[in-house]
Amino acid sequence: MSGTVVSTTGWKPNPRAARRRRADHLATAFGMVMAGILVLVLASILWTLLSRGLAGLSATAIMKPMGPPGSSSGLANAIVGSLIQTFMALLMATPLGLGCGIYLSEYGTETNKFASCVRFVSDVLMSVPSILVGLFVYQVLVAPFGHFSALAGSVALAILAVPIIVRTTEDMLRLVPTSMREAGAALGATRWRVTLSLCLRSAKTGVLTGILLALARVSGETAPLLFTSLGNQNWSFSLNRPMASLPVTIYQYAGASYEDWVQLAWAGALLVTMGVLAINIAVRVSARRG
Amino acid sequence: MTETDPQVAKSPEVALAVRNLNFYYGENHALHDISIDFPARRVTAMIGPSGCGKSTLLRVFNRMYDLYPGQRATGEVIFDGRNVLERDLDLNILRARVGMVFQKPTPFPMSIYDNIAFGVRLHEKLNKAEMDARVQDVLTRVALWNEVRDRLHAPASGLSGGQQQRLCIARSIATRPEVLLLDEPTSALDPISTARIEELLDELKEEFTIAIVTHNMQQAARCADQVAFFYMGRLIEVDSADRMFTNPKQQQTQDYITGRFG
Repeated sequence: MSGTVVSTTGWKPNPRAARRRRADHLATAFGMVMAGILVLVLASILWTLLSRGLAGLSATAIMKPMGPPGSSSGLANAIVGSLIQTFMALLMATPLGLGCGIYLSEYGTETNKFASCVRFVSDVLMSVPSILVGLFVYQVLVAPFGHFSALAGSVALAILAVPIIVRTTEDMLRLVPTSMREAGAALGATRWRVTLSLCLRSAKTGVLTGILLALARVSGETAPLLFTSLGNQNWSFSLNRPMASLPVTIYQYAGASYEDWVQLAWAGALLVTMGVLAINIAVRVSARRG
Repeated sequence: MTETDPQVAKSPEVALAVRNLNFYYGENHALHDISIDFPARRVTAMIGPSGCGKSTLLRVFNRMYDLYPGQRATGEVIFDGRNVLERDLDLNILRARVGMVFQKPTPFPMSIYDNIAFGVRLHEKLNKAEMDARVQDVLTRVALWNEVRDRLHAPASGLSGGQQQRLCIARSIATRPEVLLLDEPTSALDPISTARIEELLDELKEEFTIAIVTHNMQQAARCADQVAFFYMGRLIEVDSADRMFTNPKQQQTQDYITGRFG
């Protein structure tokens, strides 16, 4: 019953342990190299974007509307057009996505056929190619009316945003413990009040994050806007007419043979990226606060 | 509507009269023919090993099981002359009259003040002064007022576990229920917080009928006037706390209380 532990091998080197250690080092090195490559790719994209975008970014680029090549034109109408269309899209997508997510989480139990159908459709919609959404909206909101419109563009963006909001809303509400719902019900609160005042309230940071992520996702979308809001060389604030947007302008300008247009395309790309970056930072800050 | 003896239902001595209650989780028959009276303004403790059905019984009294499809109860639970199992009973009114406190504290994601005002607002329209008075009153009764009076508008999540549980009790009595259901209210708390809540029960029973589920035999002995022992979905024995712990009639009760099983 002595306290000493007697090992059968003592301090003799163990070849299997050495092999495991080598494999361990190798796996770690592999992971680090891959991570390094990823960071390098992202860094080189950002470097190209910054160096070329900053060159094109000027007061004129932000303040003046688009114009013919060589006319010291800018992107002002495209910037405002993008803001209007994504804002409109969010205005449509948020209530729909929230309502749907609330339904799935609070009312759509596993046994509910309709709910699992909705959940499946929403997930499929999330991975539908965005150009398909553009084509669909073209068929429904452009072709019958005979003209492109900003409204059609907003609807296309909204369709892309909804499933993201649905998914995050449902996931976040499901994280709210059952005990919270029971405690609310035990006080005599209706289900709707429990959902709204207790569940949604405790999940609000996560839900807000989902809306911001959807915003970030759609703000760079080009394909759905090509056949819907089309783009516009001039100022337009009418939802019933074609409207310029940054992604479509980048698409038009980047391939042009005019040096000033190409430069504006880079400046526009930088603006979109900075916008998305700002949204992502907002998401992180709001998540940390919650 | 009900076939219960009207004497039982109307008697001021009995707050809840359970008759031939059976409960099912889907196919699983969880409570068998339970009949028991809960005397008004007394503490009744329900004891028994895990899974014996004591929490299930508690959740019948405020129809909490209604939240879950597949759970159903048959029989009678007479409260103020009505069978609370009736399909057309207004659950929101029932739950205002029969409050519940859970095992783990469940503060709502709002201020201490609003945690209490939330339940009150569901049932009553009070002006600011009346609401302030109500909040102060219930917080004083759970001995929390002095600890939180300066931070009523701070989030309730910042309170300690014991404070949160007292807040939950305050929240439950703020709607002025007649019955208070406590489902292992101290099992997540330290001994000091537990002692405070047990003291609190003594004061609360002046006004409320209390049904408490507990795994703690000493707690049942300390707090309860009446003790009911459940085993495998059946009520084995119910008696005054004194008799139950000194001289139980059933061998099973004796074995459980003395720690021979469970």
